[in-house]
Amino acid sequence: MNHHVSRFLLSATLLFAGLPAVFAAEAKLMIAMMPKSKGNAYFISCKHGADRAAKELGFELLFDGPTDSNAAKQNEIVENWITLGVDVITVAAENKQGISTALRKAQKQGIKVITFDADALPDARSFFVNQATPQGIASGLMDEAARLCGAEGEFAIISATLTAGNQREWLKYIDQRLAEKYPKMKLVAVRPCDDLKDKAQSEATALMSANPGLKLLMAICSPGVPGAAEAVKQAGKTGQVKVIGLGLPSENRRYVHEGVTDSVMLWKTEDLGYLTIYAAAAVARDELKPGATSFKAGSLGTFEIKGDNILLGQPFIFNRSNIDQFDF
Amino acid sequence: MIAANNQPSWRRFLLRYETLLLAVLVIEWLIFYHYGTSTNRRGHLVGFGTLDRQFDILRHSCEIGLLALALTPVILTAGIDLSVGSLLGLCAIVFGKLWHDGGLSIPLAAALTLVVGAMGGGLNAGLITALRLPPLIVTLGTYSLFRGLAEAITQGAVTYTDFPSGFLFLGQERWNGLPMQAWLFLLMAVLVWILVHRTTWGRSFRVIGFSPEGARYAGLPVERRVSIVYILAGIIAALAALIYTARLGQAKADAGTGYELFAITAVVLGGTSIFGGRGSVTGTLLGVAAIAVLKNGLACLPVVIRLNAAEEISGLLTGALLLVALTGNAVPTFLNYLRARRQAR
Amino acid sequence: MNRYFREISVTVALGLVLLVMAGFAPGFYQAQPLLSLITREAPTLVVMCGMALIIISRQIDISVGSQFSVCSIGAGLLAARGWPLVAVLPAAMMMGAAFGAFNGWLIAGLRLPSIVVTLATMVMLRQGLNLLQQGAFVNLPDGVQWFGLSQTVGQWTLVAAALSLLLACGLFMRHVAAGRWVYAVGTDAEAARLAGIRPHWVTFLVFVFVGALTGLAATMNLVQSPQIQPLVGSGLELKVIAAVVVGGVAISGGRGNVWGAFAGLLLLACVSPALTHLHVEAYWEKAIQGMIILLAVVADGLRQRGLKGGHG
Repeated sequence: MNHHVSRFLLSATLLFAGLPAVFAAEAKLMIAMMPKSKGNAYFISCKHGADRAAKELGFELLFDGPTDSNAAKQNEIVENWITLGVDVITVAAENKQGISTALRKAQKQGIKVITFDADALPDARSFFVNQATPQGIASGLMDEAARLCGAEGEFAIISATLTAGNQREWLKYIDQRLAEKYPKMKLVAVRPCDDLKDKAQSEATALMSANPGLKLLMAICSPGVPGAAEAVKQAGKTGQVKVIGLGLPSENRRYVHEGVTDSVMLWKTEDLGYLTIYAAAAVARDELKPGATSFKAGSLGTFEIKGDNILLGQPFIFNRSNIDQFDF
Repeated sequence: MIAANNQPSWRRFLLRYETLLLAVLVIEWLIFYHYGTSTNRRGHLVGFGTLDRQFDILRHSCEIGLLALALTPVILTAGIDLSVGSLLGLCAIVFGKLWHDGGLSIPLAAALTLVVGAMGGGLNAGLITALRLPPLIVTLGTYSLFRGLAEAITQGAVTYTDFPSGFLFLGQERWNGLPMQAWLFLLMAVLVWILVHRTTWGRSFRVIGFSPEGARYAGLPVERRVSIVYILAGIIAALAALIYTARLGQAKADAGTGYELFAITAVVLGGTSIFGGRGSVTGTLLGVAAIAVLKNGLACLPVVIRLNAAEEISGLLTGALLLVALTGNAVPTFLNYLRARRQAR
Repeated sequence: MNRYFREISVTVALGLVLLVMAGFAPGFYQAQPLLSLITREAPTLVVMCGMALIIISRQIDISVGSQFSVCSIGAGLLAARGWPLVAVLPAAMMMGAAFGAFNGWLIAGLRLPSIVVTLATMVMLRQGLNLLQQGAFVNLPDGVQWFGLSQTVGQWTLVAAALSLLLACGLFMRHVAAGRWVYAVGTDAEAARLAGIRPHWVTFLVFVFVGALTGLAATMNLVQSPQIQPLVGSGLELKVIAAVVVGGVAISGGRGNVWGAFAGLLLLACVSPALTHLHVEAYWEKAIQGMIILLAVVADGLRQRGLKGGHG
């Protein structure tokens, strides 16, 4: 708390007293990292990893993004960083085309650009730290759902908003996987929860009573998973209606232990942040160049590079047996 | 107010709210110019003082600026329109659909989009005037309805992209030195200014805002005038939708979410009374500029960027600025009120 | 015509929806899910009571959603520090009352328009919370959920608390002099002043009251789950304003009551689960919400017009 207050006071003092800003030249490299949405737990855990990497490397890390997955705001923040003249910009792009114009402008000024989590156009960045393709996520979730349901029965999905790009993409591949491999499973409804946990809970409650045969709820946004779990718990349908989704251990630990939520899928987001910052540092120091086939990132060891994609590896599934090993 | 009329015209000019706002804007601009422009760590001249940045500010403020222009006559008549942001979204979708699925040419699709905007405004106008319903409630309903229709048309899923470069020119390129949409914005600003300040219609808006009953007794066609104001707002929202689509290169059902609040903030900051009857287009333009410069200027200060909270701080300060402006604007009225009360005793 | 036309028509509309549900989706009436859904709406009902008073007094408050978020996170942080709920609840209410007092001071004290004042405080509270909390969830200790009671008891307690508050508000507004003052101020502040009421004090207190209710509602929401999200309550202001207006409270002040608003809230709250039960796709939801609001006011408009016999 104190940290926040002092941060706020500092900004206020500088603004109103109009002190010449404290941007004396520093030798420290500066890396800027932009999530799709700043409040999202997924990206908060990315930041933990990124902070650790920046500390190890002795870099200054900026971490800013829209509060609500807004493509237009991402561009504005990139502009700000160009203004500041950071050394590397790393971005999880909300809108591929939209952000690329701004990123190219940064490149023109000699700023290195890499993307993580969601790619921009290839000519607007040098590397993409690829944690999993949308197909990978969708198939992973769908396979896990099928495993829990015995590949048959009804299930429903809770998404963030109707219009969010990544959600639409995942839904598309979930549909595809469903049609290809699990003909006996039926997707009965997709309901948005506006990234609100409480709304997810109400939606899940209604979904269960409207579809008595429902065997599984799948939440593809992180606030949705605890919301759905709370609904199942309150309905007394623990075990009868399974809950899976994309989320963080810290937000779901309680429900996983209670047996309400079966599994939470996630890339090791902390590793994603860590790897991204190491890659950014290497690019900035010209140690990582196009054509490389592998890359060593601090304590995490060596990663494979395919083309210009640095591969993080498979998504990870948290369940009762391993969730306590992770504290983010 | 009465006292001011006896003073020489230059003093009256200095005491006008718009002049104060202009002064605030200039000071704001100079501060940001001074502290927000720098040669950055990479040796480039960057920040608020660069021409590029100024054009960016202009580009980013055109849509909200247009909505604020649309809302000025509405608020002058003591009305309000909460649906302009949603209508922007609906129009963007309609435009995308007509062009992409309907196979219409860009100009035809754009023209039809303006018609749809007029119809959306017409729906508001019809409910407000024919049934004498409060604008706040009607437009709260259409705020949901228009956004809902945009989502229903696209099923939330479709995003229209790949517009031809001739159309994207409208939102991304410069023409005669200024961003293309800035020309359109200026044109609309002049038109709305003439309408509000140089025609009898404009005067009637203010009369209606002061007292609709009085206006009716004076023989003004109140219903018709009020209708025009909302239909105009719809058309301008549609125009803003075209510019928005061209700037981002995509039409999506969530376009313009929350813009109505920014636009209302700008209008009120510009000195237009939310109770109607008092206000000016110049004030609105200054209000839009003050907010845009504050938001973008803060984002150019290295200190603020390093706090990773440019958006939050600008939100906080915009709110504070609005409260200060309101309080300042209300002081004379409040003093008059106290004086009147003392005399009444 | 009946002076309670609006209240009755909304109740009839609500009855129709419930009948349709009974016919086409009887699953809607299973006891447990229904209780859970109603419990989820209990905090909304509490805020709605306050909003009804505000609108009756001819003001508006669009900052309640942001107040709700800040109170929720504030209460959550206190609870996470080990404060017992009996201390958290008054603290949250005080916090809300303080926000309400600030709004009320600007509106009643400085005579500023409420819609703009609360627009500014809405943005400031929301952004301030974003700045401090950065979107992170607050995990609550065990024993907070359902006050440490069993789930069913906890749910009934919350529903009963919300309904008693509604009842108290309804009776207060009808039978207590102070309640009538709110109507008087909303109808004509100057006339109210001449009648010996101090309108600005009434307005100020109504804002403080809605702030305290928002704090109460935030706590009632807090105890429903083991964690709290900073986004909680975003959009709440539009939800309660819509409910109040659909329920027949006139935006021009002085008319309506909390019972109609209650029916309006139930009607709007039904839409989403009803659509799920009728297997209607989610993307129709917002459009239908908008249609309901418009239909409610249009019905009223047409009736008023009919009453005045063509004079408009």
